[in-house]
Amino acid sequence: MSEGATAPPLEVDRLTVDYGTHRAVSDLSFEVRPSEIYGLLGANGAGKSSTIKVIVGLVRPSSGTARVFGDDAVGDGIRAKERLGYVPETALLYEALTPREFLEFVAGVRRLDREAASERLRTYAAAFRLDDELEEPIATLSNGTRQKVLVIAALLHAPRLLVLDEPLNSLDPRSVRIVKELLVRFVRSGGRGVLLSTHTMEVAEELCDRVGILDRGRLLAEGTLEELRTRALRGDASLEEVFLRLTRQDEGLDEAVASLDGP
Amino acid sequence: MGWKDAARLADVAFAEVALQATYAFRQGNTVPPTGGRLLVERSRRRVAQSKALVAGLLGFLVFGSALLLRSSAAGRELIVPASLPVGLYQAGVLTGLVGLEVALLWWTGLQALPTFLGSSAVAVLEALPVDRPTLRRVALILYLRLFDLPAVVVLVATPLFVGLALGPTAGLATIPASTSAVVFALALSLVTGRFFVRQIQGARGGGGSAVVRWAYLVLWLLPAFGLLAFITASPPFFRAIATLANPHLAPTTEALVGVYPFALALLPPLASGGSAALRTSAAVPLIGLAAGVFYAALAGYAAVWLFYSVVEVGSVPTAATAPGRRSMFELRPQRPVWAVLTKDLRLASRTPGYAFLVLLPILDAVALGLVSYVGAPGLSAARAIALGAVSTAALLATFFGPAFFALEVIAQSYGRTLPLTSRSMALGKVALVAGIYVAAGGIVLAISAFRVPAPVLFAAFIGAELPAVIAAGLLELTILFQWARRRGLPVTNLYAGTWNVILVAIPGIVVAGAPLATFLLVGLGGMAVVSIAELALVGLLALRRGAT
Repeated sequence: MSEGATAPPLEVDRLTVDYGTHRAVSDLSFEVRPSEIYGLLGANGAGKSSTIKVIVGLVRPSSGTARVFGDDAVGDGIRAKERLGYVPETALLYEALTPREFLEFVAGVRRLDREAASERLRTYAAAFRLDDELEEPIATLSNGTRQKVLVIAALLHAPRLLVLDEPLNSLDPRSVRIVKELLVRFVRSGGRGVLLSTHTMEVAEELCDRVGILDRGRLLAEGTLEELRTRALRGDASLEEVFLRLTRQDEGLDEAVASLDGP
Repeated sequence: MGWKDAARLADVAFAEVALQATYAFRQGNTVPPTGGRLLVERSRRRVAQSKALVAGLLGFLVFGSALLLRSSAAGRELIVPASLPVGLYQAGVLTGLVGLEVALLWWTGLQALPTFLGSSAVAVLEALPVDRPTLRRVALILYLRLFDLPAVVVLVATPLFVGLALGPTAGLATIPASTSAVVFALALSLVTGRFFVRQIQGARGGGGSAVVRWAYLVLWLLPAFGLLAFITASPPFFRAIATLANPHLAPTTEALVGVYPFALALLPPLASGGSAALRTSAAVPLIGLAAGVFYAALAGYAAVWLFYSVVEVGSVPTAATAPGRRSMFELRPQRPVWAVLTKDLRLASRTPGYAFLVLLPILDAVALGLVSYVGAPGLSAARAIALGAVSTAALLATFFGPAFFALEVIAQSYGRTLPLTSRSMALGKVALVAGIYVAAGGIVLAISAFRVPAPVLFAAFIGAELPAVIAAGLLELTILFQWARRRGLPVTNLYAGTWNVILVAIPGIVVAGAPLATFLLVGLGGMAVVSIAELALVGLLALRRGAT
């Protein structure tokens, strides 16, 4: 049942994801509040991508739920998919299509109005300086350009929730700046939300209102940077230091770094 | 590093080719929730299964041809003119066999090459400290492994069965034909693959460019289609061969003997029965032998070219096109069903394996329409031609559902995040299948209209079969969506998922074929009733199963 008016942009409740005998996510619960950028942090294999794949409908969880503005995202999740925009970590698209053909397909599936879709494309393509690449097959484009196309595809229908998995990985500094600005402006209006998965602590520190730290599929800690600093007993620490401390990845770190001089 | 090291490296790289052929992760498919090792083993098994099926089909063709070669004079007269000398008859049968072998191996190559290129197996090795000669060997071994079992069947079974049918000398004389068939098919696959990478994959978008791309693909597929035309037109072919049974041939007719693969197919009957078995002018065996030597030399050149060129195609990334006109910012979104249809057509226009599917029934319709000019113009002949054309297009259409479903593995990890219902996806693909069928039927109608003026009959035929074609496509897609729900997206490309295609196509053929059989028994009215009833039943089933 849809509770779109009152429900938060994203609610994840007791989510568990298994791949065969391997448990990737275990009993995970968190929510993205209106007008909030929520950062999902974790080391490699912590369960960030698996969580995101459940939210966008790519993976069926073993148990638990994920709701987008109150609509179930598990299974077909058509209503949830209508409300969210997704930027995957790897830009695996229809290589044989051009960006314009791809965006036309996305706009068609999302039943967008011709004028509105074209206007948004014009705005974002100008911002990302994609004047010459929209008619080239995606197979011939650089990773950064593909990533820009994905960002545009995610924003084309003016979604209510943005789910981004390492969105800045391949982008040039100018485009990074634009995406950051886009995210900040996006959450400022109309109770929208952003779920940002990253392991770049500086990005999370700069953009996120709250962060959740995942470790081996479990939510280890959650809160604002100040709250996490308090929890890690490191009053002036950076998010990276807090993260390393809370996930105990700082143990043996100095020795590991020192050993690099060895060989 | 020598051939042994190259073979070891190729074995590792082939695991990647098989994995990508089956699961297409590099094209954006999602990873199934099973262990990695299991996926690798399963992909190897599936690729081997598909190759075994193609090899089995080739073996069946070789065995069937051997039976035809052994047939008695009375048996031969059922299919060819009585005046045709036995040697020319045997050369005709072998021409058909070798032509089909080239076509099937080329078809395998068409299906496998995009995967081979997409796997980047050679490109990955290029980044390692592997010397160029070794890399060339690895690429060649990898390429040969795409075809291994079917190619072995052609190389071994063809001379063996011809030898059993016509004697050991004829069997040995078949070796140039079977070897050249393999070499030419592999070379054609590579030429078309290179063409694909350079001219089609990197082509710009836009309406004009799409027309050019489709035109390129038609030109490129025409040789392959020539073989289908050969099957369709085998009676006129044998009649043409029969004209060679004349001791005083015109030089232009004699020159026809040099055409591939007829020249090589002449060698076994010449070896077993001598020139007396041909009962033709003295120049014909000489032309056949000279052309045979030429084709053998050409095959040798092609083999050397293959050795040096595979690595180039396997490792070269898609070339970026030169900057052209500025981008258009105008988006023209369509309703989801048409968006799926347009997307599939656009993908097909840059993917030879899928373009082949769209173009094959249309080109077949052109050939069948032209055949109507050879046949008698009476109403019964018109009915026969209409039935033949519609039947072929309808039965070919049963393979389109699974084939276009295979497109869904591409960018699956993104496509599934869009609010696209199974209903829209299924209807989009069914609309494409129906569109191709109607286009093929319309072409038959248009071409044959001048010769066989029975447009109402043709149109009624096409219309009566249309609901059955839609029902067949809908049934196949309903089954595939059921499979997808239960065990993940089934692979339905012909290189790694032939078994799935066959399993799904069988009910499709039954549904598309039932109205055609009904027509033979009770006529057009009954055909339409069965066709509409099938669509109603399959529509209900699809609704209940949730595909729509």
